[in-house]
Amino acid sequence: MSYAWPRYYSLPPFFTIQPVMQTQKKQLQLWCDLVLAYTRSKNIHMIDLTEAEDSELFNNKKIERKLSRQSIVIVLEYLIERGNAKWVDKTKEKIQIVWRKPLEWANIIYKWATDNGFINQICTVYELREGDMTQNEEFFGLDIQVFMQALSKLEQKGKAKVFQSESTNESGVKFFA
Amino acid sequence: MRSRGIGITGISRLQVQNNKLNVVGKRLTEQRINDVKIQFRDFKTNLEEFAQKYRKNIRKDPKFRTHFQKMCASIGVDPLASNKGFWAELLGVGNFYSELGVQLINVCGVTRSQNGGLIAMSQLKQGVEKMRGSKAQKISFDDIERAISKLKILGSGFEIIKFGQTKFVKSVPTELNQDHTQVFALAHRKNGVLTKSLILKEFSWQDKRAESALRTLLSQGMAWIDTQPQEHEYWFPSLIENWLEK
Repeated sequence: MSYAWPRYYSLPPFFTIQPVMQTQKKQLQLWCDLVLAYTRSKNIHMIDLTEAEDSELFNNKKIERKLSRQSIVIVLEYLIERGNAKWVDKTKEKIQIVWRKPLEWANIIYKWATDNGFINQICTVYELREGDMTQNEEFFGLDIQVFMQALSKLEQKGKAKVFQSESTNESGVKFFA
Repeated sequence: MRSRGIGITGISRLQVQNNKLNVVGKRLTEQRINDVKIQFRDFKTNLEEFAQKYRKNIRKDPKFRTHFQKMCASIGVDPLASNKGFWAELLGVGNFYSELGVQLINVCGVTRSQNGGLIAMSQLKQGVEKMRGSKAQKISFDDIERAISKLKILGSGFEIIKFGQTKFVKSVPTELNQDHTQVFALAHRKNGVLTKSLILKEFSWQDKRAESALRTLLSQGMAWIDTQPQEHEYWFPSLIENWLEK
């Protein structure tokens, strides 16, 4: 059965690493999401650079676009920066995908809240995942399901409370000491 | 009384007459103003009664809400003007538009890195509806435009731009000059994808000029570049449907 590709996988410019920083950042986030979702679904734990260029993940034959080797490296390095992968060895030919468990993410999010004075404060989930103040955090743009799982881990430990806004669909969270 | 000439007696008599006329005139004006005030008060009372009676419809039905707004505007009443007071309490309308404004800012903020701060009105509405969820009050394009005009008053830099029949919302302070707008309008006619030669052909510009316009649109994030085909292609996210879909 073929993989259920996201819409942006069929957009040609998606396969050109954008020269404008702001746009590139968003693009790399989308790439990371795709790599993680794809590898998880196909149960792939390693990506070999020498073979990557031919993989359907980075090569969309239908629209005749693919990521160059250089571009693949950029995507993988971003993945590594986010803590979702690491080079297997010094030769930097292979990376291993690392899926963080919700508990790990919970601790990372809670640490951020503590370090930035958000204990006993309320944030919206949107602010945490996509807002200006968390742009450089590892959990920025984190898959929403994983994010909510992480928050519920914090709830279980009594370190946070998640609630839903009455009038809109927005979720908020309050962190406790 | 002699009608010839004015004379001193004549002057004072005229003055007295003038004074009397002034007083009567003033009284007439006051009367007129009072009448209008009473009319307005009655009209306003009727409008308020109307609002009370149809409060539910106003909240739930975007079309009805638009008609009501127009009725208010016709007598110079703006239900959006204040968050406190009769109207806001009665209709919850003041808050409705403030909340919507915040949601608009959110959607534009979230999508900015993809489209440079220029988004098609239809995409914006979709984004906001998704954010609000299916249980929230329904919104119309008219609601969005009103919320934007409220935001404008606060100096938010939001602007509605029209290309052909399509409306876009610009949420960044970037000034789009004539050249940028023309390129964007051309892209709109070409389903959101352009090449430099298309631009040169259409406008008979110098290469440098086209290059400069494209570079600005690219740097503002309003266009993405595809370097893989023979000639580089420029894609405009806000012109391509479902660009923002996963």
